[in-house]
Amino acid sequence: MNAAIVMPALNEAATIETLFHDIQTSVSLPIWLVDDCSTDATGDLASKMDVKVIRLPAPLGAWGATQTGLREAASRDLDFVITMDADGQHNPEDIPALLAPLIAGECDVSIGSAPDRGSRLRRLAWRLMRLTSGLRCTDLTSGFRALNARAVDLLAGPSASSLVYQDVGVLLMLEKAGLRVVEVPVAMPQRADGKSRIFRSWLAVAHYMAHTLLLSAAKRKRPWGSR
Amino acid sequence: MITLLTAVFGVLLSALMLYLMRRDHLQISHGLGWTLAILICSLMGFAPSLFDAVAVGIGVSYAPILGIALAIAALVIKALLTDIEISKLKTREQRLIQKVALLESEIREVTGRPPIDD
Repeated sequence: MNAAIVMPALNEAATIETLFHDIQTSVSLPIWLVDDCSTDATGDLASKMDVKVIRLPAPLGAWGATQTGLREAASRDLDFVITMDADGQHNPEDIPALLAPLIAGECDVSIGSAPDRGSRLRRLAWRLMRLTSGLRCTDLTSGFRALNARAVDLLAGPSASSLVYQDVGVLLMLEKAGLRVVEVPVAMPQRADGKSRIFRSWLAVAHYMAHTLLLSAAKRKRPWGSR
Repeated sequence: MITLLTAVFGVLLSALMLYLMRRDHLQISHGLGWTLAILICSLMGFAPSLFDAVAVGIGVSYAPILGIALAIAALVIKALLTDIEISKLKTREQRLIQKVALLESEIREVTGRPPIDD
């Protein structure tokens, strides 16, 4: 199988070695770490562990870093790409389950879904996002995904470069292109180390919500009122 | 008095625009819009009666408010065009950063050379 794991990372030195070890014992897939200008040893540690490291010369955020990996995958004509966070939230043992529907040709994108995680406030935010975007996905923000070549080509393109976050905008783009998305239930523990980049302060949460709700309304595909 | 101030303002701005374009601080393509705005501004200062006639012609009873409304509209359009341009530049910048990162990674794989420092 011609596939790779794309992992955006920012200052994850404390947990990255354990994560790579877990991945390498679970699946035999190449790992591409996209280092979003870490100030710790994330990139250096990854280089020592048989991992391809792509170092961004300027920070692009999680989505910009992920897209860098997707562009590399598109240029190498990979069949499948798995995207996962470097903070230990995603269990590498779930990768085969994530790939299964893609290999069977049942979908173009599978999402590792854990809609019960997080606070009531986060679930309320998801409900608002679903309402404005018309998306039916239960876990809108999961970065644990598997994509086939068609989805990779779409998301590696210039139109996806205007997105800031990897969640609703990406899902709306997939829906608009008529790609099939399925959710695969996975367990998702809390971050092993550090704080969320998006939910680092109330102001950041407010900005994220305003941005996402506006994007949802502007790019919504389904007619209003339909679910 | 206000017409004189507007005229002086227009002349000074014209000189500034010319200086900025001569020194390449402002591209000619961007300078075009500003030059047009300054010309209108100067016209308001040097020939206020012409502007009054236009206001009466389109049914505006108080001519100065037409100037203010037009100025606000021009500024809003300019701000919007600037944001559109910034959006395009940000997308282009992001793709270039990605391309540099991918090429550097490729070079490192082939030659073993570390990336070039900024």
